[in-house]
Amino acid sequence: MREAVPSRPAAPSVRGLVEDLLAGDKRAAAKLISLIEDDEPEAAEALALVYPHTGRAHYVGFTGAPGVGKSSLIDRLVRDLRSRGKKVGVVAVDPTSPYSGGAVLGDRIRMADTGIDPGVFIRSMATRGHAGGLALATFDAVRVLDAMGMDLVLVETVGAGQSEVEIAGRAHTTVVVEMPFTGDAVQTMKAGILEIGDVYVVNKCDLADPDVLVANLRFQIEERDGWRPPIVRTSALKGSRIDELADAIGRHRAFLESSGRWEARERARARQEILENARRILATRVREGPTGAGFEALVGEVVARKTDPQSAAVRLLAQGAAATKSQDRRTRPSSRPRARKR
Amino acid sequence: MAKKIRVLMAKPGLDGHDRGVKVIARALRDAGMEVIYTGLRQSPEDIVEAAIQEDVDAIGLSCLSGAHMALFPEVVQLLRKRHASDIVVAGGGIIPEEDIPKLRKAGIKAVFGPGTPLRDIVAFFEKAGSAKGA
Ligand SMILES: Nc1nc2c(ncn2[C@@H]2O[C@H](COP(=O)(O)OP(=O)(O)OP(=O)(O)O)[C@@H](O)[C@H]2O)c(=O)[nH]1
Ligand SMILES: [Mg+2]
Repeated sequence: MREAVPSRPAAPSVRGLVEDLLAGDKRAAAKLISLIEDDEPEAAEALALVYPHTGRAHYVGFTGAPGVGKSSLIDRLVRDLRSRGKKVGVVAVDPTSPYSGGAVLGDRIRMADTGIDPGVFIRSMATRGHAGGLALATFDAVRVLDAMGMDLVLVETVGAGQSEVEIAGRAHTTVVVEMPFTGDAVQTMKAGILEIGDVYVVNKCDLADPDVLVANLRFQIEERDGWRPPIVRTSALKGSRIDELADAIGRHRAFLESSGRWEARERARARQEILENARRILATRVREGPTGAGFEALVGEVVARKTDPQSAAVRLLAQGAAATKSQDRRTRPSSRPRARKR
Repeated sequence: MAKKIRVLMAKPGLDGHDRGVKVIARALRDAGMEVIYTGLRQSPEDIVEAAIQEDVDAIGLSCLSGAHMALFPEVVQLLRKRHASDIVVAGGGIIPEEDIPKLRKAGIKAVFGPGTPLRDIVAFFEKAGSAKGA
């Protein structure tokens, strides 16, 4: 019944993959996303090579309860944006089963034949234990698609869960999707949802009258920093008012740019990312345990009461910069012993 | 993060029965794999394009409409055209015994008939995924 599987062709170099990516090659994009997602040893190199080519694309996050129609809306929106000549990437996140570590990723069902368009790239991603509705590698994948030349990259978060805040911090524009019959009483809406949306969508308007919900939303949503979030009534099923949604998203980008917020966000994001990376590198160093003569000497000094642990730690970190470079890979320790080289 | 085995489960052809495919998708998930399910009535082009973008290790095709002799080999050929022959293709559904050798010859690495135990299917994809990652 079974037979040996053919061995893989020799793995192309990361540099080669990035060159192909920049030329628009979908397979290279897919491979790069995988090696970052799997946190292969080449991940840091890949991210470093990709980064200079990013910064053009508009990152748009979609959040909302399970089944509200996020994937269906994204599918429609992609088609609308394509008709405007925009290239569009999509990263759709679904939860990993905490029991098996596996996942069934179903967002693509709603995007049936959209992915075949040369100007579209769709990638499904499992959370792999990361909380907050995204996977750890979600925005790394977004960057890969940015570097590939996508004009917009749409991110579908896991609907369930408490914290949609992460997407709001990462995307330029956050689209909050609601539907009429469940959310009429806005008090029942998840806390925070009224603060994070740059654009609100009331979807499934073909099924129920959206007026109550829209009025409630309009009453509760406040202008933030000079932007009043618009509310768009759509039917992803019928494809109605998708152009309005696309316009609203485009207007928000224009607002960010003209108000100087795009640049301010870039700085805030850069600051946050440097610190996140520093924290992770330090944590890894400390967790994996420094080795070598320098560290042993410090241990001896603390034992001999020549110095105290706090001062020793400060010195350790100071000298660590040079001593433990090999541990500064992007790698997080894997919870499973199955890590393999590709 | 460890490398996960990723499998695309797809239903080419016109039949609308996806119960079997969903049962297999869940079994693969329960074995720790990431399964991308693309839904009904996919063309071989859609399937191959999705497999490439999702960077899967393997594709599982299910077809109950009788069109497997045309559709399964077409997927293999399209993969070859896209230089993605390292993606393993397996098929299942209602497939007459005499078709199996022909499908195998056309590059379908395994053919699972209706009575195949789930654990055999899981074992196949596990092996396909590990062989690729090695
Ligand atoms: N009537 C109607 N049904 C819709 C509309 N949009 C989506 N649906 C249906 O709602 C169901 C869920 O749609 P999805 O697009 O998968 O919703 P989602 O928010 O992506 O769901 P998750 O990813 O599971 O959180 C599907 O059966 C869709 O066909 C709409 O505007 N009107
Ligand atoms: Mg979805």
